Parts: sequence; structure tokens; C-alpha cells
Amino acid sequence: MRALRSRTGFLLALGVLAAALPVSLAVAASFGTNALPVDQVYTVIRWELGRLLLDQTIPAQWAPGTAVHDVVWLIRLPRLVLAATVGVCLSLCGVAMQAVVQNPLADPYILGISSGASLGATLAVLLGVGAALGQNAVGVMAFLGALAVSCAVVFLANLGGRASPVKLLLAGSALSAVCGAFSNFVVYQTGPDQAASQVMRWTMGSLAAASWPVNGVMLGIALLGTVFFLSQSRGLNLMLLGDETARTLGVDLHRRRLACLAAAALMTGFAVWAAGIIGFVGLVVPHVVRMLFGTDHRRLVPLSALTGGLFLLWADVLCRVILPGSELPVGILTSMLGAPVFLWLMARGRYHFGGGAA
Amino acid sequence: MKLEVRGLRAAPGGQEILHGIDLEAHSGQMVGLIGPNGSGKSTLLRCICRALQPTGGAVLLDGSGLEQMNLRQSAQKMAVVAQHNAYAFDFTVEELVLLGRTPHKRPLERDTSADRRIAAQALAQVGLAGFGPRSYATLSGGEQQRVILARALAQQTPCLLLDEPTNHLDIKYQLDMLDLVRGLGRTVLAALHDLNLAAAYCDWLYALQDGRLVGSGAPQDLLTPAFIRRVYGVNAQVQQLDGQLVVLYRPARREGT
Repeated sequence: MRALRSRTGFLLALGVLAAALPVSLAVAASFGTNALPVDQVYTVIRWELGRLLLDQTIPAQWAPGTAVHDVVWLIRLPRLVLAATVGVCLSLCGVAMQAVVQNPLADPYILGISSGASLGATLAVLLGVGAALGQNAVGVMAFLGALAVSCAVVFLANLGGRASPVKLLLAGSALSAVCGAFSNFVVYQTGPDQAASQVMRWTMGSLAAASWPVNGVMLGIALLGTVFFLSQSRGLNLMLLGDETARTLGVDLHRRRLACLAAAALMTGFAVWAAGIIGFVGLVVPHVVRMLFGTDHRRLVPLSALTGGLFLLWADVLCRVILPGSELPVGILTSMLGAPVFLWLMARGRYHFGGGAA
Repeated sequence: MKLEVRGLRAAPGGQEILHGIDLEAHSGQMVGLIGPNGSGKSTLLRCICRALQPTGGAVLLDGSGLEQMNLRQSAQKMAVVAQHNAYAFDFTVEELVLLGRTPHKRPLERDTSADRRIAAQALAQVGLAGFGPRSYATLSGGEQQRVILARALAQQTPCLLLDEPTNHLDIKYQLDMLDLVRGLGRTVLAALHDLNLAAAYCDWLYALQDGRLVGSGAPQDLLTPAFIRRVYGVNAQVQQLDGQLVVLYRPARREGT
């Protein structure tokens, strides 16, 4: 374990994970109802990239309209890329939230984001609120709900003095309860029909709505988010030492905390917009990476981003193949798989929280 | 670097705890802050190191007020060893000590090999050479305390503030730590509860009681049985042993027998 924590261990892991991501995309695209040879997948990707980047013409054999091209480029890859970008966003937000509220139990949804998003989605599905927002009205409403609740949490936590981690947590759980109650109220009033199950399906997370335009947005968000949190890694380290110690080391954390919160809320909001609520990734991935590579955010941020992307990508593959003929909501699978793995690592590893061995 | 405190008042949580404190520590002097529990020693130190906003008065470093400096500038001038240093997440010892370099870093600057050398030196100074890769949470309380001192040393400041620095330490490390701090030649202000250590290591003592200064002086002048009785409410004898001041306490119930 200690070897992983050395500088070479870190660089090696970074290299391996960074290489594993594109390889996984291609390999994973060969899985599905009809298995495709990996080399065909590669050829399709190669020609599409050639067309996009170098303006090459695709040979007829691989051109749009052929079965192989359409399955790989229009059905499977968008979904995998979405899985990867959502995984990156959720793990990064988990890392950030755990530091911001100084609590190992925090996840991207800790500040009421998930219940705010659920409320938005419920209003959209059941009452038709925001139907003018276009095709993905549910996603847009969820995004707006998530952002509104995060803003409200930060505002409430800043009442009567600066926001402390504890106040943030309390305001978050209070608003979560309120939003949850309103969602349930709306569902209860409109009766348990198809729409209610649509809301439920949405809260379990799904990558089925993937498309290249959505992926374009998510790729941008994931990249910007990674760069932003990399630039904040010293600040995130200091957050774990607490406000007073940080001040004696010359840093006032208040503004940095707000900036990290805003970035995390936006990233989570976009993840929710694209894929609903996918639990456990944002809680577990940061902890697993911490167990192996330590707490220093200069390592934690890039490694968590890559691990989260890979994790959700393969989780989605499993979702598609595990039940023949149908697919499992990815949120269910991440919790089913993630929790035992996490507990096993925790029990066998020597993973320490501040107080002692966990 | 000369540290001055002028008429400092503080009211954390609304109630005034410090009622106007004046003190100074001259360049290279080791000054002790004594007084019973709850007398305001920690609050005073927290005000000086800017963890707490005072409600009145001023702190001056070489004559310039702290308000005129940003946090980074003051962190380049004074470092703190606080009393409680438990963290919710685990760091390695080296990572923690390297965070002491923060005030010398520009926003996006990385730690350099020079920083790592300074951190390793600081660890060696506190007797923890080679502890860099160890996990902080697995260390004993005394070792953790010394890691925090190493972080303060890595900050390379002319002034050091210590809040009960010997709290969790064995007697050997209590002496080692104060020897080390004294030998640095920096301006030191230390809250100490052990009067024998205060007498042995400090050039000058300030005594606090209920948020007020109730005495100051060189240890041999200040620490008299009458004074200890008045401030701490205990009976004590003060003796000279090989030229060193020794305070002996007597249990209250044997009084008069």
C-alpha cells in the first residue's frame, strides 16, 4: 500500500488510469445485445474522429447508415461517454463536498441537491411545469431545482455569521426534508400512475438519454471542473485542517469554500440534468482513492476524476448485460456494487479517519 | 521580531473574556503566559494569531498593526502550535508539515524540493526524522504534537505562538521541545500550565486571571508562594535548586497540620 503513496506510485497510477479511459470506451462499446469485435469499434471511432478533426471522408463501409457505425457511434458510445463524464463530475463533487463540510460522509447530494432536483423533476413530470423548456424539460427543471436548493442552503448557512461546515450540513438536511416532503405531496396528490413511476425511474438514475449534444456539454463541464478543483487542491487540503489553522497559515477559507460549493453545485446540477440521480459514486470513489493514495488533494482530485469516470462507465456496461433483454437503472447498480466493495476495503485496509482506525 | 499587545479585548460568543490585555515580547525573548484554566490564555493567543477577531485593542509586530497586513503576510511572521490538532481526514506527516509552507506560496505554486528539504529538516529538529510517510492519525498524541511543531517550524517565521505545547508529551519530550524552541532564538509567546517549565525556560512571565493581567515579571520575581496562592488558589513552596527555581505544591487538606 505504501508504494502507491510514493510519487512514482502516483504518476504510474495516473498514467494507467488515463490510458484505461479511452481503451475502456472502445472495449465497452463492443459489449451489448450484439457483441461487436473491438477492432470494428476502433475503426468506427477512428474514422469519426478523422472526420471531426481532420475533415477526412469516411469510407462507405463504415459510413453513417451502416449498422456497425450506428450502433457504435449513435447508440453505445454516447451513452458510455455520458457515463464517464457524469462519473468524473460526481466523484470530483464528492471530493469537494467532503472537504468543504469536513465530513467523510458527505457526497455530491449532501446539500439538498438531490431532493431539490427531485422536486424539480416531480413538478415537471406530474404537473407539467416547465414544459416550455423543450425536450429535456425534466432534466432542466431538476437542474434548476438543484441550483435553487444549493443557493438556499448557502444563504441559510450564512445567516447570523459565516457559514461553517456544521451549519451547511444542518441547512442542507433541513431543506432536503422540506423538498422531499413537497415531492411526496405532489406524487401523493396526483396518484400513483405512470407519471409517478417516471419520477421514480428518474431518481434512480439513467444514462439512456445520452446524445452527442448532451455529451458536448458534459465533457466541457467535466474538464472545466477538473481544472478548477486541481487549482484548488491546496485550499481543499487546508479545509480539512479547519478555518482557524488555515488562517494561521495565511489563508481565509470563506471565499474558497463558497467557490468550491458553487462549482460543485453546478457540476452536480448538470450531472442530474443529464442522468438523474446516481447514488454512491460520489461518496465511495473519493474514499477508495483516499485509502490507496492518501488525502493530499493534488493527487486525490485527478485520480478520483479518472476512477469515477471508469467506475460509472463499467457500471453502465454491467447494467446493460446483467438482465437479459432489459436494463437495470445505473443508480441501483452503483449502490449494490459500490457498497460491499467499499465495506470490504474499509474492513481490510488500514483506513483512518482523524480519530483512529475506521 | 518584537510582539506587542495593546489593550486587547475579546468577546467570543458575545461575552467579554479578555478585558484589555497589554504585553510585549522582545526580539528573541521567550515569554510565558500563565494562569489557571479559563483565565483567557488560549483566547489571547487566538486573537494574536488572528484565529479570533478581537473586539478592541491592537496587536503589533515590530510596530506595525496586524490589521494592516493580510493573512498571508502575518502568517509569514508568526506560526502557531495550537492545542487541539485532530483532523477528520488522515494526512501523512510530510503532507501536514509541507502545509506549513503555504504562506510562502503563490496561489497555484507547487511544493518544490526546497520546501521538501525544509519540511524534512523541521521533522528532524523535533526528533521525527523519517516519519514523513507515516500516517498522522496513527501517531501518539505526543508525536502528533511534535508534527504540528514541525509544521510551525517549516513556516520559518521570526515569531512563534505556542498554546500548551507540552500537553501530551512525556517529560523528556516536554524538556526537549522547550529546549528546542528556546534554542531557535525566535520571539516566542507560550501559554504554559506547568509553572516549573515556565520558570525554567521563560525570560519573562505574564499571569492572567479572569481575562485580566494580574502580574508580570521575571520568573524568580513573579513566582512567590503568595502569588501562586492568589492566582491558582493552592499552597506552594518555591525553592532554588542548583540555581533553578522549583515550585512544590502541597495538598490543601494538609494545610495547618
